[in-house]
Amino acid sequence: MKNVLIGFVVAVVLTAAAHAAEPTGQEIIASVDAGRNPGQSFRVVDNLTEYVGGQPRNSMQLVIFATQNKATHQYNNLIRYVLPSRDAGKMVLFNGSNMWFYDPSSKASVRISPQQRLLGQASNGDVATVNLAKDYTAKLLGEEKLLDADKQTRDCWHLELKAATDEAVYSRVEYWVEKGTYHQIKGKFFSDSGRLLKIAYYHKFMPMLGRQVPAETIVIDSVNQNLVTTMAVSDMRAQDVPESWFQRDFLPRLKID
Amino acid sequence: MKKAVLFLTVCVVAFPAVAQENDDLGLIPGAVQTAAPPAATVQDRGKYAFANAFGWYGYRGSFAVSPGDAIPSRWNDRVSADALVTWKLSDSLRLTASDVLSASFADGVGFPREAVRNDLRELYATWEVAPETYLETGRINVRNGVAFGYNPTDFFRARTSVAQSSSDPGALRNNRLGTVMLRGQHVFDGGSLELIYAPKLHSPVPMGGLAYPLDPKFDQTNGSDRVLASFSFEWEDFSPQVLAFYDAGRFKFGFNASHPIGNSIIAYASWAGGNAPSAIVDAIAFGKRTRTLPATMLVLPPVSTSRSFKSDVSAGASWNGEDKETISVEYNFHEAGLSKEGWRGWFATGANPAFASLMWYIRGYSSDRQDPISQHQAFVRADWTEPFHILHADLSGYVMTDLTDGSCTGQVGASYDLSDFWSLGAYVSATTGGKRTEWGSLRSSTSAIVQLVRYF
Repeated sequence: MKNVLIGFVVAVVLTAAAHAAEPTGQEIIASVDAGRNPGQSFRVVDNLTEYVGGQPRNSMQLVIFATQNKATHQYNNLIRYVLPSRDAGKMVLFNGSNMWFYDPSSKASVRISPQQRLLGQASNGDVATVNLAKDYTAKLLGEEKLLDADKQTRDCWHLELKAATDEAVYSRVEYWVEKGTYHQIKGKFFSDSGRLLKIAYYHKFMPMLGRQVPAETIVIDSVNQNLVTTMAVSDMRAQDVPESWFQRDFLPRLKID
Repeated sequence: MKKAVLFLTVCVVAFPAVAQENDDLGLIPGAVQTAAPPAATVQDRGKYAFANAFGWYGYRGSFAVSPGDAIPSRWNDRVSADALVTWKLSDSLRLTASDVLSASFADGVGFPREAVRNDLRELYATWEVAPETYLETGRINVRNGVAFGYNPTDFFRARTSVAQSSSDPGALRNNRLGTVMLRGQHVFDGGSLELIYAPKLHSPVPMGGLAYPLDPKFDQTNGSDRVLASFSFEWEDFSPQVLAFYDAGRFKFGFNASHPIGNSIIAYASWAGGNAPSAIVDAIAFGKRTRTLPATMLVLPPVSTSRSFKSDVSAGASWNGEDKETISVEYNFHEAGLSKEGWRGWFATGANPAFASLMWYIRGYSSDRQDPISQHQAFVRADWTEPFHILHADLSGYVMTDLTDGSCTGQVGASYDLSDFWSLGAYVSATTGGKRTEWGSLRSSTSAIVQLVRYF
């Protein structure tokens, strides 16, 4: 009995010590940003495949240009649609709350609202690079063991993120971040009304531009659970992306070759 | 037993609970794990499509102002091949072409002279003379403005229409002819400057003339010398743009801006103004210039022939909902258009059969210029992406209301992407209103069009 009591006390002390050294939610999310967002402007290819009823049905290829705004530390993004042919040449610009959609068929630039970032199963807001620590206030809910997309057990911090700015894509997000590596393992995304919109699993972490980036994200639609979309990033490379690109009038000028 | 309970307690305190969060892993299909890595390379391949659109048309039988005896075909089938492509000639030089070749089949349409039509929408070269500084020449489709129903600052819209399936003003902009021009643009941090010169290449030709199938129609798009200077900049999230436009002796100025309100609303406004005659005087002057109307033709219905400063305004807001629905509400003002009194004059004059065709000529002129004929209009557009959670489907509709008489034109449309390559669309349009109203006076009452598109 005495030994058990000693063991109990030791365990409590160790747990308390571990909790004392625990980073805050905000620190964890800042480390996630630091671990995955390249510290320079870049371009990346994103291939999206949509599975309906377990079978691939539609695909999409995007080229994304991103750079961190020196003043706000938020990321500005330009998204260019390459495939399918129906959408080829369409573009989306995210520059804070200055967001535009450009269609080469009509030569029209249409201003879009933050809400419209959520259009699409894997939405424009999902493929854009964001600074989570700037957009959200994070709270550490606890620690959990979680299976990742490859069914490997991960020791995770469970975080709740609430939108801190109008530029946050979702009003509330839950993240599971692997302890030690600061890899995002899973995310749950909620609408303004609190409805669960989608669940994302991040895996295949690979070095890209000196960071560990999830090469594939699997997005499960929480409303239509028959629908799963994969987002695979590749060919991430450093590229000078001037500030002057992030405005309406530059959209027709963006080249991908 | 006590030891076992204590041991379990220690374990619970010392180690976090295994999450129950993985039930959703079963939703990930096996095909995801076995999928081949996607292509990492990208190529700007352009956009190519074949389309077939079949339409039925309904017509009114009695009119306050007779549109003539000839009744158009009640059906039409249009086959088209469409291409939009940019070729890279060097790091700083590109060539862009956009073209649609179509053939229409309908009662009374002779093949191939009347049925085949090629619309070279764009063909231009772009030279990036310095970073973010561009010189372009050729036929270019330039569009300025932020409104959806009527864009006063869209100065190059006149006489650019190309046949298409949807009557939605948004679709009208998708298919239009560019203007031959020399264009320079410099984009800099927080703004851009643009200067355009579009030369007169041909004297204006009459409306409705039958062009040869391969006619590029430069006589439509380049009937006068025009210059446009525009300056866009960022200011307090309004993204304003100011414009100055010169068109054959007339100056016009324009301004447009937009601003987000909260998470879901974009408010926008567009204004253009300059000295101009009324739409009636302008139409009759054009008829005389193109010798469609005799030089002695009186201005009917009688209105002042003097020019005065006239404004065009579009102001509205667009709202987006959580379920991917968008609703836009817009007010349009076209000062040169017909007021309530102007409409009374139009109907009174047109009641005389001798002047009926002149009245329709005036309306045809406004339509050809893509100007509203009425002074006051309301435009409402609704779009619902993935309605009822149907993936790749879209429902849309619009209503344009003449606020002087309450008559309307509108359309309901549905489209569905069958795959990455096939799309199916259906559009039902109608005009409503009494015989002595803008939309109720038209011959066309209803139409239904089904369109199938194959993309490459």
